[in-house]
Amino acid sequence: MKPLRIGRKEKLHLLEQGPKIWEAFNGLECQHRLAKSTHKDVKKAIAIARKFNNEVIRPIYLEMDLKCMEDHDYLAWDFLKKAGEWGLFSLFIPKIFGGSGLNFLGMYPFIEEIASVCSGLGHIIFVHYLGLATLFPSFNSKILNKVLRDVPKSEKKGEPHLLDLVITEPDAGTDVQEPLLLDRGRIGTIAKKVDGGYVINGRKIFISNGHFSYWHIVMCSEDKKNPAETFIQCVIPNGSKGFSFGTREKKMGHLASTASELLFEDCFVPNDWMSIVCQSPDMINSKKGIRWTVHSMIDYVVSSSRAGVGAIGTGIARGAYEAAMSYARKKNVGGELLVNQQWAQIILTDMYRNVNMGRAIYMESAYTDMLQGLFKLLAKKPIHYFLTLMPKWYFSLISPLLSLKLVTRLFRKYYYDWYTDEERDASSGWASIAKYTCTDIGVANANLALDLMGADGLRHDHGAEKCYRDVKLTQIYESTNQVNQMNLFCCLVGNHMPEVEFFK
Amino acid sequence: MNSINTDSLACERQAFADLAKDFSAKKLAELREEHDRYPFGELFTDAIRDAGIIGLYGINLPVDYGGVGMNAAMVAVIVEKLSEVDASMAGIVFANAAALEIIGEGAAAKNSGDIYTSTDRFGTAPLAFQSFAAPNESDMPDADAGGSLTGTAAYLTLGNIADFAVVPARNSGKQGFSYYLADLKNRNVRISKPVVSLGLHSCPSVDVTFEGIPARLIGMQGEGDRYFNAMRDRMSICAAAMSVGLMKGSFKEALEYAADRYQGGRQIIDWGQVRMMLANMAVLARTGESCLANACRELDDTAPGWEQTATAAAIHLGELANRATTDGVQLLGGNGYMKDYGQEQRMRDARQVQSLLGNALFRKMDFIGHIIGENR
Repeated sequence: MKPLRIGRKEKLHLLEQGPKIWEAFNGLECQHRLAKSTHKDVKKAIAIARKFNNEVIRPIYLEMDLKCMEDHDYLAWDFLKKAGEWGLFSLFIPKIFGGSGLNFLGMYPFIEEIASVCSGLGHIIFVHYLGLATLFPSFNSKILNKVLRDVPKSEKKGEPHLLDLVITEPDAGTDVQEPLLLDRGRIGTIAKKVDGGYVINGRKIFISNGHFSYWHIVMCSEDKKNPAETFIQCVIPNGSKGFSFGTREKKMGHLASTASELLFEDCFVPNDWMSIVCQSPDMINSKKGIRWTVHSMIDYVVSSSRAGVGAIGTGIARGAYEAAMSYARKKNVGGELLVNQQWAQIILTDMYRNVNMGRAIYMESAYTDMLQGLFKLLAKKPIHYFLTLMPKWYFSLISPLLSLKLVTRLFRKYYYDWYTDEERDASSGWASIAKYTCTDIGVANANLALDLMGADGLRHDHGAEKCYRDVKLTQIYESTNQVNQMNLFCCLVGNHMPEVEFFK
Repeated sequence: MNSINTDSLACERQAFADLAKDFSAKKLAELREEHDRYPFGELFTDAIRDAGIIGLYGINLPVDYGGVGMNAAMVAVIVEKLSEVDASMAGIVFANAAALEIIGEGAAAKNSGDIYTSTDRFGTAPLAFQSFAAPNESDMPDADAGGSLTGTAAYLTLGNIADFAVVPARNSGKQGFSYYLADLKNRNVRISKPVVSLGLHSCPSVDVTFEGIPARLIGMQGEGDRYFNAMRDRMSICAAAMSVGLMKGSFKEALEYAADRYQGGRQIIDWGQVRMMLANMAVLARTGESCLANACRELDDTAPGWEQTATAAAIHLGELANRATTDGVQLLGGNGYMKDYGQEQRMRDARQVQSLLGNALFRKMDFIGHIIGENR
């Protein structure tokens, strides 16, 4: 018997035993399924982030944090404009929508780099892409084209128009972010159909970047007793009648970014800005049903955004590590540098290990998104080369085609009708792994930095205490880590066990 | 404190616990969020003054000099109760009590209470002290032969509100260091703006620079290290008590919130995972109480090795409080991260408390050093 001689059928059988390739080896799969030029984009994204850190963020971030602590009404508009001058809000918008078209795979290391210096200021950039990741899964090409094309245009005018995600409500946090809990939630923001559009009433809270954004991607429902099947996503720009900004939360960290209250009082939204209406005929007649579609839509959003939160957690973990290392190399204890104490070396090594572990995990989630999540179409080699090689003017020329309903229908056919449970489980499950592991790592490293630095670490001017305040949020938003654990159980742990019930 | 209630001090302990609880409810609870804004808001000077009026700065001051004459275990009773509501006030009581412990050591070494007559502020106003670092962890001023101090005392807690500070200083040309009582109102004392810190915002720390100011030697010259270690052994009980208070406060708020908040169609307290987190917090808080009570009992009885028990309790309970208060934030979700609730403050305060009496890792190394030294 020659055990190394395995036939094709036997090999397939063995690989099916699990963990399956689609479930656990997406990084490996990406090696041959992604275009070679992708890695250049990733390197470019890292280099841009490092340059932006050195020239813009590093010189101001501690002072900015203090300023926000002192004056709750302060908003970092100057920073926002500076990021716009650098073109960071359109950096990852595909060229077909007028952006610079850097590959989305590069966005995650980009986020880590920025968060390693200041995730508070970084949020102003990151959350804009969360808004983008929210609008994308509507696959409403007409609205996408209008909104996304406005971003680079507004950047050039010096008044960047950012996107945000408007979902959380006073009585519904986890409920509105978890598809399986949506129907049990106490939904308070309701859209009512009227001539030519919808009228929205309600209050949304904890909206990251709310006050900074221009395009608000709002999630609500038509019927509070049946929120999943009457789900609605719409776009509300600043200045819309009936829409106003409320208060801003007083937070422990992430002070440079806002958590806003948004108010909707008889806010009229024309049909042209309704990106998803579940009770519309095309959604009702969708191949897999409304519930499946809404579930998939939310999962497309959170799968891409939770990997991003993983990158933020890893970035803060790295910031804490770098602060601790810098301190240990200067601090003299008992006549010896702290960095030369063996126990301190072990702590620093653990911190370094944590950062690399986090990076490997959020990148695995990003790879899964490239193959089985929101970016899977863009990652197809022919599409990738088409979008990369054609000049921007060409896309401007053909952009009117994106207003055709047929394009939206094709997008939805591909992303919803042809989407499989396995794909959804893999991208959603890995996003949860990345989210809760990397943010736990972030908290662990922030603690280790403070352990090592003692009283000096408690001082604001050393930076470590800011990491500690900032990183805690990452364990909470984009659904708490505990909800992500449950989601992972649903997606990849208990998904093949018929006797298992979820969210009981 | 889950302490013994049959010993001779049980009544006093209960009285001080009630006093601190009443003070917290009247002076701290309502304006907790506003107080936490310092140094970007007003300092609660009224509460600081009132704490002196009710005697919270004289618990471990000898009776002959206007104090209550109790030990650190009684201070622990008070700081635990205060920390349940707002640990900053506990930090103020702690810094003052630590300074008094040093003075007490010096007075005992000299067999003289003269030092207590140098000001009438003892027991009525708090003393400044470097609560968050051992002397060997930070810069200290130099003292000349005549007792003049020159140099910087970094991160001096209460340095901007106290009239007097107990500070370590190196004696030129001699080994070790000594403690001095310094008048912070001297015009040659430069006080920085309050250092913006992670936690205990209303228990401010500043960097203080002395430019040749006269100061009074506490005890014997060169004995600072011994006084510090003796103080640290006893005050570890108080650091541990603050950690316990923070855990209890965090658990109480988490429990109330979980019973009140609905998600997924039911109170979140009915979600198994939430209940498990609450259970973990309850176990930590209860374990903390028990550990603290034992350390206090050993101190009261001067049981052999009580110093090690106290040190271990402070280090361990500091870690537990850090864990519990972090979960306390998590259980409130987004609300836990916001200043409207007390949880985020408790999480920051617990982390700050972990550094009381010096870097916890250095304290651990000292701890094992002592054990190894004894065994040899």
